[in-house]
Amino acid sequence: MNRKELPLNLDELEEYLTEELGDDIKEFRTEEIEKGLSKKYMKLIWMRVIKDSFRDAVKAIADIQTPHLSVASGSDKGDFVELIYHFMVNYGFAEQETAINLKVHLPKDDLAIPTITDIVPGAITTEREKQEFLGIDVKDIPDDRRMWLDENYPEDKYPWRWDEDGMEDMSRHVHEKEQTFEEPVSERVKKEEKDGE
Amino acid sequence: MVKGKATYEVPIGPIHPALKEPFMVNFKLEGEKIVDADPHPGMNHRGIEFMGMHRNPLKVIPLAERTCGICSIVHQHMYTTALEHAVDIVPTERSRYIRTIMMELERIHSHVLWAGVAAHEIGFDTHMHFTWKIREKVMDLLEAISGNRVNYSMWTFGGVRRDIEEDMHPQIKETLDYYKDLYDKLEDIFLGDPSIRHRTRDVGILTKKKALELCGVGPTVRGSGVKKDVRIDQPYSAYPDLELDYVIPSRYGYENKGDVFSKTLVRLKEIIQSIDLIEQCVKKMPEGEITSEPNKAALLNKLKTASGEGIGRLEAPRGEAMHYVRLTEDNEDVDCWKIRASTYNNLATYAPMFMGEQIADIPIIAACIDPCIGCMDRAEIVDIETGVKEEYTKDELHELSVQKTKDLLEGIDR
Repeated sequence: MNRKELPLNLDELEEYLTEELGDDIKEFRTEEIEKGLSKKYMKLIWMRVIKDSFRDAVKAIADIQTPHLSVASGSDKGDFVELIYHFMVNYGFAEQETAINLKVHLPKDDLAIPTITDIVPGAITTEREKQEFLGIDVKDIPDDRRMWLDENYPEDKYPWRWDEDGMEDMSRHVHEKEQTFEEPVSERVKKEEKDGE
Repeated sequence: MVKGKATYEVPIGPIHPALKEPFMVNFKLEGEKIVDADPHPGMNHRGIEFMGMHRNPLKVIPLAERTCGICSIVHQHMYTTALEHAVDIVPTERSRYIRTIMMELERIHSHVLWAGVAAHEIGFDTHMHFTWKIREKVMDLLEAISGNRVNYSMWTFGGVRRDIEEDMHPQIKETLDYYKDLYDKLEDIFLGDPSIRHRTRDVGILTKKKALELCGVGPTVRGSGVKKDVRIDQPYSAYPDLELDYVIPSRYGYENKGDVFSKTLVRLKEIIQSIDLIEQCVKKMPEGEITSEPNKAALLNKLKTASGEGIGRLEAPRGEAMHYVRLTEDNEDVDCWKIRASTYNNLATYAPMFMGEQIADIPIIAACIDPCIGCMDRAEIVDIETGVKEEYTKDELHELSVQKTKDLLEGIDR
């Protein structure tokens, strides 16, 4: 990209992104929300790209300005899992910051997405979270250890999935069921039990 | 002492003896020098998002509020604004000002609290008790306005639940004057004291480049000179109408170094900024209704079949935070809800800040991002040369930190 002078307004951003990504963009809409008595606007872009050009899209956004990745949110939508990467550009300019919400759909039979930590190093926390909460396989992630869930939580259950891989059966009518995983026992208790014997 | 792999996890139960929440960082050491830091959150993951996705949108407001005790306003604000965005509810003008006043009051209380924690970590407990004493004043005001000291229950869709009426203005003014009078003393303690300066200057440096790359937020990165502040970048509530500027050290004649001192400076200056913003709000507050959706039953009925997605962002005391909310026609409950708190993004900034520092500096650096998921409960130390592992408890680390201050004091000409 020939670096344009920041900040870019919504039209310039739209022009730039469609130029870079072309037909790979499947949905695109911009939004301006009025704020305050002085009528200033909050600017947002919602766009969905095909899975194969996801990294290209992130690179295109990273070319605008070192992007601020707020978080990636994700949800189970039946046949596919939708991930939304909430990027912010134009920060540092009063009232100009624009949210670029980059969506990508992952079919249930191929829940894999390439990592973006080489482009946005700060994405590591949210990528690790998506692995354990939605069962997404983030390819080439530098650190794939579990981060938030307890070590006793089953490996093949994902809290934000609503299908058979979700935890609905673990969270409802719990009293009627046998326990599916072992209660954690601390080293201290183990030692005490051993000493008691 | 345990021999073994480089890292392992220490499970800590929901009940915790220390003051703050469970959280762990694994450190790798070469002698006294830290060469790697690996934070382990999630010791007490409560699954709030999962719970929220099984409740109707109105019931999620009190749940969102309970995400955090210190920044409870932050989470209810983000959830409410995200949903307002999703279904096109416009909050009333007056409520925007009331929201802003509440958020800024919370910022004062959070920053004053943080200053106390920071002082405690380096062994100045008198300062801790002083700051926590003066924090009571703003807590009293928050209670007078909302009726609650911690979880304020102020927000609702389309506005707020309680008004700030004319007769409350004297108390607001009195509280703000109280902090104005004390501010010089605070600044003198935290920026002027030579021993505190020795413990905070050039410690825990986060460079501007790293701060940007790692998507850090709030005073943590503003101390490095990064201009990121949602209140200015993407103003919400009443901020578009107010005058404010990025609080970075160079604005006050200091270097944008990104060390603990810079972060302290940013937080202290933000207290003064908050006081100014509240005064502007009180002056400019328009008349009118406090909520645009007074009929909750009708609203809930409408939300049952509403659809849309929205984001709510704000500048929390600890930095930018956001919520994503989606409603769909066929789901009466919230269809998707993602919470992202400030510390979530700041976790990644720990590694570069700890690099090359000493064990005794761990508490103050850990505290300098103002971690919301608690403090370092237990630090595990691996000596690279011998491969021997030791575990330091919070108290032992605190002792080390206090000792370092004492050693410094002997060498300083006061």
